[in-house]
Amino acid sequence: MFRQIYMLYGLLILATVGYAQYNGWSLDTMNQLKNVPKSVRDNPGSYRSVYSGYHHYTGGK
Amino acid sequence: MNPEPPPGGGPQPRVSGLHCPNCGGSITLRALGQASSVVCEGCGSILDAQDPKLQIIQTFHRIVSSDPPLIPLGTRGKIRGTDYEVIGFERRTITVDLVEYHWHEYILFNPYKGFRYLTEYQGHWNDISICKELPSMSSSFNISPRVNYLGESYQHFQSADANTDFVLGEFPWQVRVGERASVTDYVHPPRVLSGEKMAGEVTWSIGEYVPGRDVWKAFNLSGSPPPAIGVYENEPSPFSANLKAVWIGFAALAFGLLVMMIGFDLFAMNSSVFQGAYRFTSGYPRAEASFVTNTFELGGRPSNVEVTTSTDLQNNWIYLNYALINQDTGQAWDFGREVSFYSGYDSDGSWTEGSRNAAIVVPSVPPGQYYLRIEPEADTVHPPVTYTVEVRRDVPVSSFYGIGFLALLIPAILITWRSASFEKSRWSESDHPHSPIIAEGN
Repeated sequence: MFRQIYMLYGLLILATVGYAQYNGWSLDTMNQLKNVPKSVRDNPGSYRSVYSGYHHYTGGK
Repeated sequence: MNPEPPPGGGPQPRVSGLHCPNCGGSITLRALGQASSVVCEGCGSILDAQDPKLQIIQTFHRIVSSDPPLIPLGTRGKIRGTDYEVIGFERRTITVDLVEYHWHEYILFNPYKGFRYLTEYQGHWNDISICKELPSMSSSFNISPRVNYLGESYQHFQSADANTDFVLGEFPWQVRVGERASVTDYVHPPRVLSGEKMAGEVTWSIGEYVPGRDVWKAFNLSGSPPPAIGVYENEPSPFSANLKAVWIGFAALAFGLLVMMIGFDLFAMNSSVFQGAYRFTSGYPRAEASFVTNTFELGGRPSNVEVTTSTDLQNNWIYLNYALINQDTGQAWDFGREVSFYSGYDSDGSWTEGSRNAAIVVPSVPPGQYYLRIEPEADTVHPPVTYTVEVRRDVPVSSFYGIGFLALLIPAILITWRSASFEKSRWSESDHPHSPIIAEGN
């Protein structure tokens, strides 16, 4: 019984990996936005990323 | 060879009524002519069942009244398709390190098939029969002795002196309370091979583990059997039977994962759709640092996009804010990545830290026209940084295979660990507590 459950589980894992790969899933984190104004193309400074204002850690160097 | 039982019903054992010469109590002989001794239920005297006058073999003071047989004498049941009647019961004891261990033996009888035995120890049951041929000692070198029987190898489990301290009913030998036998058990779960040496004669028997509920069902007993405590010497492991199959399954699934990885690597688009080279000097000119790239097309089905940054950093860092923006819909993926690389020399020699390159994968991006908004940040005291940005469409992500492999491996390791723990519990009660795990029979 455990063997059948394990095989079913394993096939589910394979299917999930295949699905993730086919649909281009990613483990990286990012912020998704929907209506970025078209003006950004002409004026990049009109848009600020949530990741802006980065503080680099230099301690210990 | 035993004659076939008559059709249309099981054999009916012959029952004879006699009287005990010691107390005058009624004696019932269920295996008339085949039992060697019978115990008077009234006074406990052991009588010679082969003697028409039931000569007294032994009288003893019955001290065990609080340990009645779980299967009452006279109960009939079906074992391996044959009807048997419980005709005898004895309690036996071994003493190990001044601790007494008791088990119970039930003598079963069928007039056509003869005798059979059931043993019970702390809720663990064994169906026992006398060996039809002698086991042979194994010549192969092992940590503990082995014997071979009917093509199977049995590993020595325990040797001890057993004492009979309570008897009831009929026995196919001249039983005595207080008789001692040297008992040696060899196991090949779910079977056990027992050699019982008494008066220079060794009797070999073969037993097979039976769950208590099967015994209850076979004898149609009311209630439920006593729960099994601990792991018994020949108890089949619920894990070991699956162990080989699970590892074979794991190998097959891991191979499937490998094939999938090769397939996706071969058939992934993995095409470069944009490349750009840039130079950033922090704080100069004092103007907006962000800029946008030319548009590029992401084709095919919705799939991932990898943005790779390559720099010429040396003891420096740069942080890049990226936004991948769909020119038509305004949909955007906002992300950032620091790239830093340091190197030097110290007392241990040369060292490096970080990397000059970094990559990030944007998930499930629909096809369309896109551009990147890039906003670099860096220290003003450091020299300018030259960097290139490359965008690739539909790249294989190897981390998924790693996670999948671990997800397949963990249950296989868990069941292996459970199996090893079970075997450790089994062998901790043996004469070889550090014995290696043996293969089980099916």
